[in-house]
Amino acid sequence: MTIAASTGRGRPATSEVVRRLPEILTIWVPLLLSAAHLIAFSLWTIWISFTPSTLVPVAGWVGLRNYSAVAASRNWQIALDNLLLFGSAFVLLSLATGLILAILLDQRIRGENLLRSIFLYPLAVSFVVTGTVWSWLLNPGLGIQKLVHDLGWTAFRFDWLIDRDMAIWTIVIAAIWQSSGFAMALFLAGLRSVDADLIKAAQIDGAGAIRMYRRVILPTLWPITITVIVIQLQFAISTFDLVRALTNGGPGIATQLPALVVYDLMFQRSLLGRGAAAAVLMLLILLAVLLPYAAWRYIQRRRAIHA
Amino acid sequence: MPITTTRRRLLAGSAAALALPAFARAQGAVKPRLTAISQWSAGSDGAAITALGKKFEEKGGVWQHSPVPGFTTEMMNKLRAQIIAGDPPACSQLKGPEIAAWSKIAPTVDLDAVVAAAGYEKVVAPDLAKLHKPAGKWIALPLQIYSTNMLFLSKRAMDKAKADKVPVTWAEFNDLAEKMKAGGVAYPVANGGTRPDDGQKFEAALAGISPAVYRTAIMTLDEKALKAPEITAAFVQVRKIADWMDPNVGAQHFSTNLKRFVDGDMGMMIMGGWAQGVLRNAGFKFEDFMIAPGPSDNGKPVFLLNADAFIFWQRKEPDLQAGQTLMAQLVMDPAIQTMYSQITGSIPVRTDVDLSGEGWSDGQRRTAAALKEAIASNQAVLSLAHNMAQENGMTAAMIDVITEYVKNKTIKPEQAATRLAEAVESAR
Repeated sequence: MTIAASTGRGRPATSEVVRRLPEILTIWVPLLLSAAHLIAFSLWTIWISFTPSTLVPVAGWVGLRNYSAVAASRNWQIALDNLLLFGSAFVLLSLATGLILAILLDQRIRGENLLRSIFLYPLAVSFVVTGTVWSWLLNPGLGIQKLVHDLGWTAFRFDWLIDRDMAIWTIVIAAIWQSSGFAMALFLAGLRSVDADLIKAAQIDGAGAIRMYRRVILPTLWPITITVIVIQLQFAISTFDLVRALTNGGPGIATQLPALVVYDLMFQRSLLGRGAAAAVLMLLILLAVLLPYAAWRYIQRRRAIHA
Repeated sequence: MPITTTRRRLLAGSAAALALPAFARAQGAVKPRLTAISQWSAGSDGAAITALGKKFEEKGGVWQHSPVPGFTTEMMNKLRAQIIAGDPPACSQLKGPEIAAWSKIAPTVDLDAVVAAAGYEKVVAPDLAKLHKPAGKWIALPLQIYSTNMLFLSKRAMDKAKADKVPVTWAEFNDLAEKMKAGGVAYPVANGGTRPDDGQKFEAALAGISPAVYRTAIMTLDEKALKAPEITAAFVQVRKIADWMDPNVGAQHFSTNLKRFVDGDMGMMIMGGWAQGVLRNAGFKFEDFMIAPGPSDNGKPVFLLNADAFIFWQRKEPDLQAGQTLMAQLVMDPAIQTMYSQITGSIPVRTDVDLSGEGWSDGQRRTAAALKEAIASNQAVLSLAHNMAQENGMTAAMIDVITEYVKNKTIKPEQAATRLAEAVESAR
């Protein structure tokens, strides 16, 4: 933006360019490179998805055949159902967990810094580690179920990992464990930035704690809520490493997710064209989330300018 | 094709050089060099290929092996990248129908002369030979063989069942499993939960019930055969096996449960011959388990072939071409095959290698005998679960159905058979 502004004033002096050199090198060069990278490879993938490529990329045109093959496959249908369930459950539950944690932490308690670090810590762990650790914890023969059995409650059952109807929930559990700290951090920042005068005014009007949260504080949080939803949703759509480490799509193919299908088609089955088609479909799902968000942001900004 | 002529001449020359090593050394204008990629980096596989490299160097060659650890598909990604870049390795690991598929994307070396000079074709199982000469000419060479349907029996579980007879047919297998269950073996069938693991259960069942239907349905994908009652019968058998397995294994590798198998907590394991090497590496003794060919209803052994191989990619450099010839000669050499199989626990590709000597285990001898018998009775077939029967895409489509069936007990055997036929149709 600054460059555009400066050209408006005529050619910048050489000294101006030199002064700006660090900025140009550190911001614009990487930004342009990564944008070109992203766009070029997206376009390339889109092109591949219309070719009959299998082992290696080949030229040719098969129209939408790759797309119809992917859409008709059982793997993809299961993956979409799972994405719908996983995406909504994960986003709602991590939102709720994060908000509750944030509100509890906001009570000026002792050891807040320590607790905050603990809740945020899972975010620093790689998804592969999270998936592997939870695959042990949730394995009925090794983890939680065995522990409770050993403690004496032998009728206890917690075998979701090997139950193909419930297995998708194990991914929800692990994903929430990993990322509700992130939602908490954003909500906490939001809670802290609520206007102190507003809270005082509510207190003077005699609002209790619950009423204060419901009527005064939470309504100010909704822009943050939308940001959290969008970030979590795009994470949910592109989930790969977590599910690969935790269930690897199993039992059977019960916990397939779109990213797993893409990987499977491209690298296990050597069907580059179909894999690319599945990747493009994933991109479309992602756009379905991101475009409304971008539009909403745009409208917000317009409104702010007019106001 | 001038290039081919040169290579022909070179191969012919090398074949002569094999007969006259002293002469060849005197003539050797170029030092043979070989660039190779494989997934064999560690364990007995790594040790075996390193030993092969040593032999290559002893013959005066320069050995440049770059292992790509991990799954075969990761090795393939590297191979793909190198081929697209126009710089394929002189030779790479590749097996089964993938040899035919990949040979279409880059030129391969015609090995006919060197294979003929070694008289190799007579000593290789016919179905296996076909895979390595997809367009009629040898372009790849098998290195070692495993059977994917060996039956491992835990001694302690046998004791619990008060049984000592190795089951030959599926009915006897089922009897023994029931006896084990009654005798206190928690899970009569030991298993992992991976896709090939599930696939192996099915291929062992079908090939054991009818090798002929296996051949037409799974290997040639005949539509009628895919609807044969034997397919449903195989799924019925798979369900029985699944009911005897520990459901808690999730997606674990089979080796995770070897201790429970040896301890007699699990009874029988249907696994490839490589499990013998894994068991030995884990410190278990030969007395702990028995190995026999997988159940076969007609009593004659059925051999589900899995063979590792090298494919040779065309290179212009004379030193690489000389290296390819030397490598081909080594891979076909009975002494080298003996060395290789003794390290990995496989059996040699050559059916004329004598396994009675030291260095071979009973399991290997039994496997080799089973292969010979199976070839004689036309019951040596190609493994589906280990990508020998079909290309990866078709294999994956079929394994999808099988693995879902193993894990989802609400699917009926008839339903699974229909789904298998449908999966084949849509993957064609």
